[in-house]
Amino acid sequence: ERNISLANATTVELSCKLDPNFHLRNPQVTWKRGNETISHTTKAENSWSIKLVIVDSSKMGSYSCIVKGDEEIRATFYLHVPKIEAREKPIITYEKDTAVMVCKSDSTPMTWTWYMMRGNNPVIINESLWTDKYLISRLSANVTRLRILKLTKEDAGVYWCEAVFQLGESERKMELKVLSIMAPLKPFIAIVAEVIILVTTIILYEVYSKRKGK
Amino acid sequence: GWAWAVVLHFFLVNVLVMGMLKTFGIFFVAFREEVGGSSEQVSWIGSIMSSLRFLGAPLVSIVCRGLGERPTSLLGAGLVAGGCLVSTQATSVPFLCISMGLLLGLGFSCLYQAAAVMTAKRCRARLGFSNALARSGMGLTFLMAPFTQLLLDFYGWQGTLLIFGGIMLNLVPSSLLLRPISTRHSSAKTQGCESPMAQKDPETPDGGLDGTTDRELHPHKAQELPTTERLLMSHGKDVSDPTNPSALGKLEKPTPDRSSPETATGAKRSNKPLSATKKETPQPLLDLSPLKDPVFFIFTWSFLFSHLAYFVPFFHLVARARTLGMSSMDGSYLISVAGITEMLSQLLSGWVADQNWTKKYHFHVTYLVLSGLTNLLGPLATTFPLLLAYTVAFSVSCGGFMALVLPVLVDLVGVEKLHSYLGFAAFFAGIAAIGGPPLAGWLYDYTQTYACSFLLAGACALLSPLSFCLEPWAQRWKLKRARL
Repeated sequence: ERNISLANATTVELSCKLDPNFHLRNPQVTWKRGNETISHTTKAENSWSIKLVIVDSSKMGSYSCIVKGDEEIRATFYLHVPKIEAREKPIITYEKDTAVMVCKSDSTPMTWTWYMMRGNNPVIINESLWTDKYLISRLSANVTRLRILKLTKEDAGVYWCEAVFQLGESERKMELKVLSIMAPLKPFIAIVAEVIILVTTIILYEVYSKRKGK
Repeated sequence: GWAWAVVLHFFLVNVLVMGMLKTFGIFFVAFREEVGGSSEQVSWIGSIMSSLRFLGAPLVSIVCRGLGERPTSLLGAGLVAGGCLVSTQATSVPFLCISMGLLLGLGFSCLYQAAAVMTAKRCRARLGFSNALARSGMGLTFLMAPFTQLLLDFYGWQGTLLIFGGIMLNLVPSSLLLRPISTRHSSAKTQGCESPMAQKDPETPDGGLDGTTDRELHPHKAQELPTTERLLMSHGKDVSDPTNPSALGKLEKPTPDRSSPETATGAKRSNKPLSATKKETPQPLLDLSPLKDPVFFIFTWSFLFSHLAYFVPFFHLVARARTLGMSSMDGSYLISVAGITEMLSQLLSGWVADQNWTKKYHFHVTYLVLSGLTNLLGPLATTFPLLLAYTVAFSVSCGGFMALVLPVLVDLVGVEKLHSYLGFAAFFAGIAAIGGPPLAGWLYDYTQTYACSFLLAGACALLSPLSFCLEPWAQRWKLKRARL
């Protein structure tokens, strides 16, 4: 099994090679995509290959070569658009802070678009509409960054970035969580209170024993 | 009595300091993602933090001698908590380097030094066991890792640092437990800690008890007493005669029934060395005398190499397990087995050392040699059971010698000068600690196998006890120099 990631229109040659130690009398090798057989196969010494010209997303998918001997052996190639890398875990930010989300891909897409979920509808984040809230910058050809300023509780939710390639689209979802400042502050204050109680106890004890000593 | 409070504080220090250092790896990932900066830059924070812990030691020993242990410890706790809190506002890696690396590193070294010396001062008889007990705190640090991860998932790195700052603040009340020793208290305290020995003479009252226990202990430990203390003893004898009447007045618990001069001078003699210490040694704050002392070199040489030998195998144990084809679950299982075995062997070794069957450093040497041999045989371990056996053997010997580091130093130089010795020794050890992991990493890159790091660790572990062979000569040399 092989994964092949393609971004732009290219010609691809896929070949299946048989191990010469495998003595198969009359090997029958067919190339299939789904259920349809591909006819233009080229045969070499011990390998069978096909040439594919890929110009749009309709030609993407999985292609397999099947060897019919005593048993059926299959090898599959998956052709797909490049996957996007981004943060898997939810991004935790605080109110009035800035959130940064970065999407990265292996090849250069034609465009990047950011979406957010409002209610049940995806909404495109249009920078020009909210210039003081969202900042989209293209850090490099393969990397895009969304910055959300002045966070509020309503900004929490699912965001995703979509990359458009010649051969299709690819996207990645991320979750944003917005906490209020009080959230970690509560345990902190609890601990500080405990510390103060301990300190006062110890100081009182020392003062008491000093007075007793005198 | 209060000695156990000090051990508790040292235990807490170990847990929190070591926990912070070890969980830094988890923060590392969070920092890289959120604050930005390359892997190398972020790891600088961690290395500044852990190296300052050692390198700051001479500076801290000066502060400790100037201010006393308790204020230094409070200062350390304040630095650590403050550093954590300031770091929550961090926006860039250099900022974090200073706020987290510098402040926390200095704070840790303050805390550690003060706690270690205080433990040595408080519990002279059972130093081995109490040191081991406190060090077992390091074993609990493995709990901190999942806890930190949980906090990070809930509150993000800023919230986690805030809460950590609060947890570190807990070191403030525990530092308050480090009550300073005054001369009056110390005679009663040494009594408390040495009571197992003193129980042989239940009839003598308190004042006499000081004298008799001292007289019992000093011939018994005549070999072990460093020359400095013996000098003070003889000095004390000279001083006691002219100040006879004032000394009697100084006795806190006068001997009402036994007014015999014997017990009185005995009690005076126990008080005298302590007050004579105060008169005779108005040591300058920056005490460079350790650098002129051969015993110091012996100790530092061994300390340096044993530290190198200690860290490297742990770093590479999991990686080696992986290269031999074991899953990472097995690898972490090995690490936890190592941690628990080490904890147990520390306690055992501390207890054994306290029984005083032989000089403490003989044990130290034995453990080091064992660990060296284990490491040299380490590359032979290629299956999981063998690797497990290696891990157990290695952690037993490591725990053994780690527990004895402080008692051995105390035996060699005595408690009065402990600060400066420990400070400088830690400084040199810090240099080794900075160089150790990168050196091991370079070895791996060069030889493409982890076997070499184990061989290196074994070689270091065997090199370090060599210096102890020179110890008897060094003591004789010191005596000769003192007599001149």
